[in-house]
Amino acid sequence: MLSGIDYFVVIMYLVGILVLGLYFARFVRSADDFFLSGKSLPFWVIGMSIVATDISAMDFVGVSGQSYRFGIAVGSFDWLGSIPAMLLAAFIFVPYFWKAGLYTIPEYLGRRYNDGVRAVASMTWIIFFALDLGVLFWATAVMLEPLMGWDPWFSIIVTAIVVGLYTFLGGLTAEVMNDVVQMIVMFVGGATVVVVGLYHAGGWGGLTDKIAAMGEAYQNHFELIQPADTKTPFPWTGILFGLTLVMSNAYMIGNQAIVQRCLAARSVWHAKASMLCGAFFKMFIPMLVMFPGLIAVAMYPGIEDGDQAFPTLVKNLLPPGLRGLLFAGLLAGLMSTIDSILNSTATLWTKDVYQRFLKKDADDHHYLIVGRLATVILLIFGVLTSPLSKQFPGIYVAIQTFLSFFQGPAFSILLLGMFWPRATQWGGLVGLVGGISTSILLYIFKGRLFTIEAPFLYISWWSFVAGVLLNVAVSLATSPHPHERLAGLVYGLPKAPKSSCEAAVC
Amino acid sequence: MLNFDWLKWVSLPAAKAVFLALFAVSGLLVLMIPKASILEGVENPRWWHNLKLWAFGVLAIIFTIYVIF
Repeated sequence: MLSGIDYFVVIMYLVGILVLGLYFARFVRSADDFFLSGKSLPFWVIGMSIVATDISAMDFVGVSGQSYRFGIAVGSFDWLGSIPAMLLAAFIFVPYFWKAGLYTIPEYLGRRYNDGVRAVASMTWIIFFALDLGVLFWATAVMLEPLMGWDPWFSIIVTAIVVGLYTFLGGLTAEVMNDVVQMIVMFVGGATVVVVGLYHAGGWGGLTDKIAAMGEAYQNHFELIQPADTKTPFPWTGILFGLTLVMSNAYMIGNQAIVQRCLAARSVWHAKASMLCGAFFKMFIPMLVMFPGLIAVAMYPGIEDGDQAFPTLVKNLLPPGLRGLLFAGLLAGLMSTIDSILNSTATLWTKDVYQRFLKKDADDHHYLIVGRLATVILLIFGVLTSPLSKQFPGIYVAIQTFLSFFQGPAFSILLLGMFWPRATQWGGLVGLVGGISTSILLYIFKGRLFTIEAPFLYISWWSFVAGVLLNVAVSLATSPHPHERLAGLVYGLPKAPKSSCEAAVC
Repeated sequence: MLNFDWLKWVSLPAAKAVFLALFAVSGLLVLMIPKASILEGVENPRWWHNLKLWAFGVLAIIFTIYVIF
């Protein structure tokens, strides 16, 4: 339980975040300000915001739980699962998106393929984000209950009110500025647990010695590369094909919550630099989220639920004051992810669905109101659906499972759309829908088809392959787009004399 | 096939070499990017505007981590 000084630290953090968010609300005068910060953000703000968006409190709990059970192999999700993809995003995709003046990734797909692809991609992201929100809210409840003794619904509602207020009023600017603060608080809070934990475990040498002495079951705990036939969810084949080649690229290049920040950069150089800046900070994340699990193995072996490793460590090792600091860090992680999801989903809804299909010619203020309303409705939906997460065995795996349904197919059409001029609108649509259907079928029959515990990496890879094959087959059987229609949308083709937004399908 | 059983014969050191090669190839590709593209959008270029250096720094760190573990 938290002491008086811990509560003081947490309350100061919450008030500070709220005040900062409300301060930036004054700069929101148009939909462009609300969704893209008026294209004014410098690279370091975006880079820190990308990391804060990517890392949530769920990672502290979930990744610690995975490293408690399987060792450092889970660290590949932040190293291999980010760095190569962020380089690709920085030098190839993000500059293209930024120059095209996009608001959303489905908007690119709409210009490149057709409105059907745009609608499917956008609605899929909206549904994923909505479900993700519920999972994240439940992660808060799981985390807060043993630490503070708060009722899960109370902690969910407190988080929702604070994040909802500054996101509703301040839009993307309030989010990214809060993300900067939240990333610093998160790093300090997470580092506190690692430093105190390592001290109690006898330093790095003491930690490795203790785990090595625990027997054969723990021999692979310090191996990043796991055999192809491992029973853990991290065989090297899955890490290479599923994570490095598909999921990480899909996440860093096709995830609206990540890319939207880069689209708000003040210049194309800042857009590229923001990804590289984010990649640098991402290198340190595994140390914050993975080490606590290893420390818990050495100090508290035998915890049945891996997700309880992190709370156990905090409860037993951190003194008053530091516990509050860590707790503020966890809240920061949670809030930074939730605010990004809220604003990105509002952007997807307003730009890709509402403005495109429901009301095309309204004034700018109208779309600002629609974006704000979408934020509120999504927040309420996330709160109400949060208990559904109980149906899944691990919080982290639940998120990966949701992601694996459509990350592969979405990336397949993005990749072919960007690099293969022959890809047609029908190829894109069939590739996306067929790929998503494939991943759902693979998930339903995973018990018969796969030998590892949680095959989300393999599902992601094979649904990507299905998306590519279907796209290629259908594209070759249908009429190609004229090259002038693809100008500025396919890598290597010259830009159109006019904005690509003036293409027939835009 | 879905479980990549056909790659079981690859040893762990060979698998590690695959990942290290991936980082090395990424570095080579970054090296090939034209300088004009790297400095696009910069009015008064300074040495630290060269994003290739940023990319090499990040790749060097991850390469070292995967060599050690």
